[in-house]
Amino acid sequence: MTPKYQQSNTTEKRPDNPLFKTLSRIQLVYAILILIVVLFGIRLFYVQIIHYNYYKDAALNDQLKQYQIPASRGLIEGYDGQSVVPIVLNQELYTLYADPTYISKPDNVASQIVSVIGGSASYYSQQMRATNTRYVVLATKLSADQSQKLLDLKIPGIGTQSQDYRAYPDGSLAAQVLGFVNANNQGQYGLEQAMNKDLSGKPGQVKAVTDVNGIPLAATKGNIETQPVNGDNIVTTINLPMQAQVEQILSNEYQKTKSQGLSAIVMNPNNGQIVAMANYPTYDPSNYQSVSNPILFENAAIDNAIEPGSTMKTLTTPAALDTGVIQPDTSFYDPAHWVIDGFNITDIEQDGGPRIQTIANILALSLNTGATWMLMQMSQPGGTQINQHGIDTWYNYMVNHFRLGQTTGIEQGYESAGFVPQPDMTNPSIDLTYANTAFGQGVQVTALQMAAAFSSIINGGTYYQPTLISQVVDSNGNATVNQPKVLEQHTVKSTVGAEMIPLLENVVTTYLNEGFSFMSFPSDYMVGGKTGTAQIANPSGGYYTDKYNGTYVGFVGGNQPQYVIVVFNIDPNVPGYAGAYGGQPVFADIAHMLINDSFVSPKTN
Amino acid sequence: MTYSNTLSVSRGYYAGRNQNVVRFSAKEHTLGPISNTIILVVLICLLGLLYLTQVTKTNAYGYQINNLQQEQAQLQTEHNNLELTSAQLQSQGRVQSSQVASTLVPVTPSGTVQQ
Repeated sequence: MTPKYQQSNTTEKRPDNPLFKTLSRIQLVYAILILIVVLFGIRLFYVQIIHYNYYKDAALNDQLKQYQIPASRGLIEGYDGQSVVPIVLNQELYTLYADPTYISKPDNVASQIVSVIGGSASYYSQQMRATNTRYVVLATKLSADQSQKLLDLKIPGIGTQSQDYRAYPDGSLAAQVLGFVNANNQGQYGLEQAMNKDLSGKPGQVKAVTDVNGIPLAATKGNIETQPVNGDNIVTTINLPMQAQVEQILSNEYQKTKSQGLSAIVMNPNNGQIVAMANYPTYDPSNYQSVSNPILFENAAIDNAIEPGSTMKTLTTPAALDTGVIQPDTSFYDPAHWVIDGFNITDIEQDGGPRIQTIANILALSLNTGATWMLMQMSQPGGTQINQHGIDTWYNYMVNHFRLGQTTGIEQGYESAGFVPQPDMTNPSIDLTYANTAFGQGVQVTALQMAAAFSSIINGGTYYQPTLISQVVDSNGNATVNQPKVLEQHTVKSTVGAEMIPLLENVVTTYLNEGFSFMSFPSDYMVGGKTGTAQIANPSGGYYTDKYNGTYVGFVGGNQPQYVIVVFNIDPNVPGYAGAYGGQPVFADIAHMLINDSFVSPKTN
Repeated sequence: MTYSNTLSVSRGYYAGRNQNVVRFSAKEHTLGPISNTIILVVLICLLGLLYLTQVTKTNAYGYQINNLQQEQAQLQTEHNNLELTSAQLQSQGRVQSSQVASTLVPVTPSGTVQQ
């Protein structure tokens, strides 16, 4: 036993004892481990305490995703008989894009793309050869099927991206009334512009810590996720079958008269609702990018203010009747011309010479001298001079009663206010200026202003704000009915409206008797109106001697006027007067259409 | 009777003569620091596990909600497409050029029944 102890003792004392070596290594390892732990601790302290904010922000930047959830744009609808049908919807289509850096063989890829969506292989190939970008658009408006087929090809660097587009099932129907939505999802022109805020809705928002796929982790505190509020649906007052036919009539007349453009409005005079509003030429809103002339985007019926010509007499006459200076059966001596401020005012058709005339003839024969005489009566009953009182009175009717020279507030982009000359008595030719306004020269109005003002006369004096909106339906389905809004309660006395109706029916009868057979209407319906032939102002001064606008303002109804129709035909190439041959036929076609398609209820007694 | 006597009696059955009985301390049993630490660690682990389970479960629901939202969006797209197709089929142009429309003739009312 002893030698063992001795040996053991001897071993312990040896400096190269294995046990001693083992212990030292363990201690060394421990020391290293402790050192590593300390290093980790220091590093953790550095990272988590000293640079806490930096790394917190970096982590949040990586994990915290913030993006908007787009709201679906509201639909635009119209009436198809009794039911409401959409005329503008949303459609999800796809944009095909490429990252050229991933594409090594553009020609091969291009031919693969052509096999799915068609198009030009050389164009695709050229696009994919771009060197200064990592995103090139190869095609737009692809269907979901096409998108899926392209993705199935699994071509590196090729992808598709969904995007909402406006879709128009009726093509270009009411295009200028509707407007369009541009690439930034902003409504342009028409209803899209005027109602952009309501149609757009409110986008939702996601601010959350997400996984690698961007999906919010529900267990994380402080996630914000608000759902989008979709845009309101707008139900227009447009009667779609009527609108389609009015557009067809304008198209036909445009071809026939080769004019610069046509506008027509059909309005319910008893509530201000526009049931048809059309212009020609027009455009396809789904392909608005291809329109080279932006004038086509404009709704000329509300933004093209022109001198209306003799249709203005449908406002001058009721103004004079309302002031009591004339009666419907008043007769007067018409000298066939008036000299005002040194200028001769005559009638376009100077037949008959000086003679006794009637109020009915002022409208039926479109007497400029008669309109001037009415202004003289507003100046001084029984007089033959224009004075400040007459000018102020007529100005008051134009601006405050009939609301000319100001926008109507219809839900359309770019509405024109028109122009009414100020009654500035220091103007040496103010009498002439105002004499001209009495028969529709020197004053500019839009077709809509004319329709609204005329409606207020034949409905007995109530000026309704013209509107294109029947209802607004929010994303929860709650409908807000757009009630008629009265802007002026007494534009004229109710008796004046009743007096104007037969006077204007007489105009229609007069034209029929003169051989305008298309002005023949069934006796169960009341139809009245007035032509207007207006000289067109030359931008370089004065008026063109060979260019005229043809206008028409009229109504059609049964027991009472149910629709007011206003037609503006810009510089038509017609053999006779622009109003009679360029505006009147359009009115007649629309009136016949309304009667034939039973849009108008006939007289019941 | 002392505690040891009691033991002697109770253990007398097993204990023979001159045999020591086991000494029994009256001191209370307490857990040592290691046991406490282990129990604490186990408890923390259990709580951690519970927390992870709940978080995972919540996130799983989050994924489920996300899937349902995607499904909803897909159905909405499908609905929109169907609505568009329906509108296209009922469009004025299509109705006007339909076979039924081509057989219609214009009629001007010649009069109305008077009551």
